Amino acid sequence: MKLHRIGVAILIVILSVTLAGALAELPSVEQRTSTSQLTRRVIDGGLQDTGALNLVSAVLFDYRAFDTLGEATVIFAAVAGVVMLFYQAPLHPSSIGLSMLAKRSLDSIGPFVFLAGMYVVLYGHISPGGGFQGGVILATLTILISIVYGLETERRLLDPTFKTTLESSAALLFMVIAFGGILTGEYFLSNLSAGFPRGEAGSLLSAGSLAPLNAAIGLKVGAGLALIFYSMVKREPE
Amino acid sequence: MTEIFHVMVLTFLIICAIAVAYIRDLLSAVILFAAYSLMMAVIWQQLDAPDIAMAEAAIGAGVTTLLFVVTISKTRRQE
Repeated sequence: MKLHRIGVAILIVILSVTLAGALAELPSVEQRTSTSQLTRRVIDGGLQDTGALNLVSAVLFDYRAFDTLGEATVIFAAVAGVVMLFYQAPLHPSSIGLSMLAKRSLDSIGPFVFLAGMYVVLYGHISPGGGFQGGVILATLTILISIVYGLETERRLLDPTFKTTLESSAALLFMVIAFGGILTGEYFLSNLSAGFPRGEAGSLLSAGSLAPLNAAIGLKVGAGLALIFYSMVKREPE
Repeated sequence: MTEIFHVMVLTFLIICAIAVAYIRDLLSAVILFAAYSLMMAVIWQQLDAPDIAMAEAAIGAGVTTLLFVVTISKTRRQE
């Protein structure tokens, strides 16, 4: 026991020294943005290349859209795994929920949560946010409903089969947009060069395929997380 | 002023991280972890990364906490 603790302490000291050394070697933010070719390329040419004001979205859904497709696939696999794992659990839904006060509070804030989620998804190419963040906010709304109003109410509002369909069709929408690039003679996931309209920078319908890709990811993540929560809170047989 | 704020937030972050590792009650650990995520979101925002801040606040402080709570309710509360 004693020896074990000393070993851990030595390991922590070694790790701290290594990390402190690495930290001292790091260039400052100003130094990095002025010397890194990649950073300069995105900051200077991002708006020209993609038509998106939010450069983070530009990187996520244009320059590195293929990575985003991979991330979406990972989430898809995770959702499928969780749903499969809890598939056997029969449903004993409750429609009692919390007190009247909690229900009325959710009635007042619910629409605004939905609005915030939709805003973050649809304006992902203009302001901070995007499909992932907005999708999680939308999923939070369904989770709030199932906690406050009971799982039965949430199930009646949004059928699990509907959520599954929504998630799969959002994934399909992403692929359809991605293949649109190939159909016009460009590359997989090509954006402006494949003929998607550039629009006026800063308006809702701009930046070519970025907005629809954001919407697809938003629906996918939202439906997927709602499904994960739904599958997990279904009661086990007692 | 911002310097003091940063030091305060980072200190809180370190305290939260150590407390999460030491605490025996898993539900308390999850709530502490949510507080940690929220502080982390503030730090991302201070570092001019609002996209990551939103993701951290929504996923780290929101959904992860909920999923952990559901998992604890299905297993044991004490470590």
